[in-house]
Amino acid sequence: MTDRLRRLGRRLAVAARRVLRVAKWESARASGGVDRKTLAAGVALLLVAGGVVGVGVATGVAGLDVDRDVYRVGVDPDSPYADAIEAEPSLRPVSAGRASLGDSADAVVVTVVRPGSGGGGAIDSADVESVVVRATDTQKGEAAAASVREAVEAHNERLMRAEPNRTAAFPVTVTLRYVGRTTGFDEGATLGGDGGRTGDSGGSAGDDSQASDADGSTADGGTDGGTADGIGSVGGDGGTDDDGGFAVPSVGGAAFGADTVGSPGAITPPFPFTSLLLAFVFLVPMNFLIQAYGSSVLDERTNRRGEPLLVTPLSPAEIVAGKTLPYAAAAAVVTTLIALAVGGGALSVVAVAPVAATFLGATFVGAMFARSFKELTFVTVGVSVLLTTYAFVPAIFTNVTPVALVSPLTLVVFDLQGEAVSAGEVLFSTAPMAVGAALLFGLGLGVYREEDMFSQKPVTRKFLDALAVRLSPVPAGGALLDRGRLRALGAVAFLTACTIPFVFVAELLAVAVLFALPVTVSVPVLLVTIAFVEEVAKSVGLYAGFERGVFERTGGAATGDGDRGLRLALAVGVASGTGFFLAEKATAVVQAVGLTDLFLGRAAFADVAGLSGLPPVALAALFFAPLVLHAVTTGVASVGASRGRTAYALALTLATLGHAAYNVGVVSLG
Amino acid sequence: MIEVSGLRKTYGDFAAVVDSDFAVDDGEVFGIVGPNGAGKTTTLKVIAGLVEPTDGEVTVAGFDASDPEMRRHLGFLPEESPLYEEMTALSYLRFFADLYDVPREVADERIEAALDRLELDHRERRLGDVSKGMKRKVAIARSLVNDPDVLVYDEPASGLDPVTTNSVLAFTRELRETGKTVVFSAHNLYHVESVCDRVVVMNEGRIVARGSVDGIRERHGETTYRVFTDVEPTATPALADLDAATAEVGDRYRTTVPDMDAVAAVREAVADAGGEVVDIRSREPSLEDVFLDIVGRPMPGRYTGDIGGGEGSDSARDGDETATAAATEATE
Repeated sequence: MTDRLRRLGRRLAVAARRVLRVAKWESARASGGVDRKTLAAGVALLLVAGGVVGVGVATGVAGLDVDRDVYRVGVDPDSPYADAIEAEPSLRPVSAGRASLGDSADAVVVTVVRPGSGGGGAIDSADVESVVVRATDTQKGEAAAASVREAVEAHNERLMRAEPNRTAAFPVTVTLRYVGRTTGFDEGATLGGDGGRTGDSGGSAGDDSQASDADGSTADGGTDGGTADGIGSVGGDGGTDDDGGFAVPSVGGAAFGADTVGSPGAITPPFPFTSLLLAFVFLVPMNFLIQAYGSSVLDERTNRRGEPLLVTPLSPAEIVAGKTLPYAAAAAVVTTLIALAVGGGALSVVAVAPVAATFLGATFVGAMFARSFKELTFVTVGVSVLLTTYAFVPAIFTNVTPVALVSPLTLVVFDLQGEAVSAGEVLFSTAPMAVGAALLFGLGLGVYREEDMFSQKPVTRKFLDALAVRLSPVPAGGALLDRGRLRALGAVAFLTACTIPFVFVAELLAVAVLFALPVTVSVPVLLVTIAFVEEVAKSVGLYAGFERGVFERTGGAATGDGDRGLRLALAVGVASGTGFFLAEKATAVVQAVGLTDLFLGRAAFADVAGLSGLPPVALAALFFAPLVLHAVTTGVASVGASRGRTAYALALTLATLGHAAYNVGVVSLG
Repeated sequence: MIEVSGLRKTYGDFAAVVDSDFAVDDGEVFGIVGPNGAGKTTTLKVIAGLVEPTDGEVTVAGFDASDPEMRRHLGFLPEESPLYEEMTALSYLRFFADLYDVPREVADERIEAALDRLELDHRERRLGDVSKGMKRKVAIARSLVNDPDVLVYDEPASGLDPVTTNSVLAFTRELRETGKTVVFSAHNLYHVESVCDRVVVMNEGRIVARGSVDGIRERHGETTYRVFTDVEPTATPALADLDAATAEVGDRYRTTVPDMDAVAAVREAVADAGGEVVDIRSREPSLEDVFLDIVGRPMPGRYTGDIGGGEGSDSARDGDETATAAATEATE
């Protein structure tokens, strides 16, 4: 045992040494590929650009008002409105005495007084009847008048906020409660749980009344009746509600710099703009990294440049690890620096790591499949767009719904907002991408060999090759549980199980994309989409096996007869379905973050957890029902795959429909 | 040193190599000859462990060809020499020496020795900026950084200028003297003839002839005699039986016959016509003649360039056509 461990340790040390050697030379090569002057010029340009922006932000130059002094407004310098107009950059006050409407002013603030009511003819505040804005009869005049009105409102808001007696200034407390759409499916179940119960009720008499408007889109509120010492609040504390859903945070949030005190008209959606923007900054360097990395990998394949490496004692995995390490290290360093710069912590780095790994993994696969730098460009752009979308779009809903945790970037937003997350949420958010990245590298490694690296096959054929290389022929004859046969079927099950992270990501993405639609539309589409994704995941490897001759096609010469071919197709189909079933159970992590509390989450990740009242036999039957489903539908698809492309397409459609029907049944039960 | 047994490699329905068997002894330079698509490169890649055989066994230096440990004993030169163009020759070779765990001092010694022997200058210049011949030399030097027992060279002189070709072939011959085992493929038969001890001839994935170059030539080619006369030989019955072909070459007539008895018959016929034999030359068959005899079609990619004299003269490639003193004497 000790010897074995010692040997293993030695082997790992040798592998690590080799990886580091390749990494060292890869770094030297990569740096040698860029002209030093160009590199220096690029760095200088970045520094200058960053410096200009930094200085601009620091000095307020970046905040230049492009609409400064657009409108001339006549106003008496002693008028209380003069301050409001003075404070609005787009308005230029002109002394009312000299202002001539249409000539030297676009609008004039006119104070209407009761004639002769004041003592000695003087006008005092009691004489003022109204204040009106007169503007020229032009579009500019109308815009000037509108700006004056807005300037006055903003001025009033500022005055109210400066008022020591806050209750007097803001006598109304509004408690927000976000609710989802009411549908026939779930009678008001929301995609974000029940919405956050928000807000301190502020005023002592706040009754926290519930919103009940039909559209439920924004706020409704209760009033506290204006007790003297209550401090009104709009929005809440961002806590988590009792139902496990996500609390709606302070309206506007710290990100907007909005106050928790203000006019109801200032209420803004819970959109963490600044945090999102900063989180996006983490993704920007990835796009540059994958360009360099993809080029390096493809460069090995161009003109067989990397062939001599394959003749060295290094394994393909060591070569790839060595080539990837410098780029992964660069991603780690850049991510850490960005985290430090934007005020993120370790959580941000942990969250971005699987994103960076997926960027690299997807690029590696793309570079292994691409036939030219032109194709690689499409691949890297595709990877950039897809992964940026996948990471960024869900994060927009960080404060709205747990679906946002599909993206690890949501963790970054939480981190920047200073909100704590559970280990389960971190796992839920990062594991699919981390495992997916590892599997992407595994997929690419399948074709990191002479026979595939330098061939000019289309991407689809390369993909099938990469899958088929992980399979082995299923021996005919012999005992039913023959070791060779079990090993071959085990390889099938394992290959299918490896698709789970991608299935999971695809399904979560489907949920994220569809959740904005009415549930009556999104649920049926989702159920069919999920069925299709899963059926493809279970059978595409089998199709690759039949297509590449790992498995004998039905009716082929080697199979002898159709029955034997059919048995083989069914056997690999059942093996694949079983592998999928077992791996599917790993998605139990969904439970950790309560995604299945959502109606759409239940639809996507339906299980029998809600059927605890049933007898054990029935529960067992329901537990294994997915196994039967996967075995049957994959068996059907496998038989199709064994008979060619057209038959596979038809069988896949049939399997998808069957699977979708099953999903509908489960959702109905749930 | 190398054992190839029952080797078969298929790509889908295409059989690249079929039932190939041969063995290469220690210190031997072994040639694999054949036209493009004959299966030479696939065979070499299986030996180098780059390609997994569909069937059969290949062992190199006592290791299975798929064993990564085998690669420590092997140096491989692929048909093309694309290098990492952003690296210098020296850094490129050091990189590969590093991958073979060769200590820096030892690596530098080997690299210097190989580059000196190959007369490679500009060692600090980026490989993207050097000539094709220099790149080839760097690739050859790379195959030696781990001091391998076995060298597998695929078309080492393909596409090079005559001077570099001579240099590379001479270097390959020297390798034999240092005890290296070399497996060498070429579709240019002169290269094989000038370097190899034994050869196999491949066509359409199969070995169609094997043995020493001389042995194969003896089995598959025949020496012919060309009798030059000052008059056209009379069509005597003896000459008619020989089916001898006569052609007018300048102010002479050339009659090609298979043996010395026929030469005597020609002499008699010329005497009947009142003339005499001016010259008699024997012509040894080239490997290309042998190839034509074996596969029934000419060798593609026949060498036509000037290789700069030395051992590679045109007459040698076309089959030595030398005056035979004995034959001349026999006619007198």
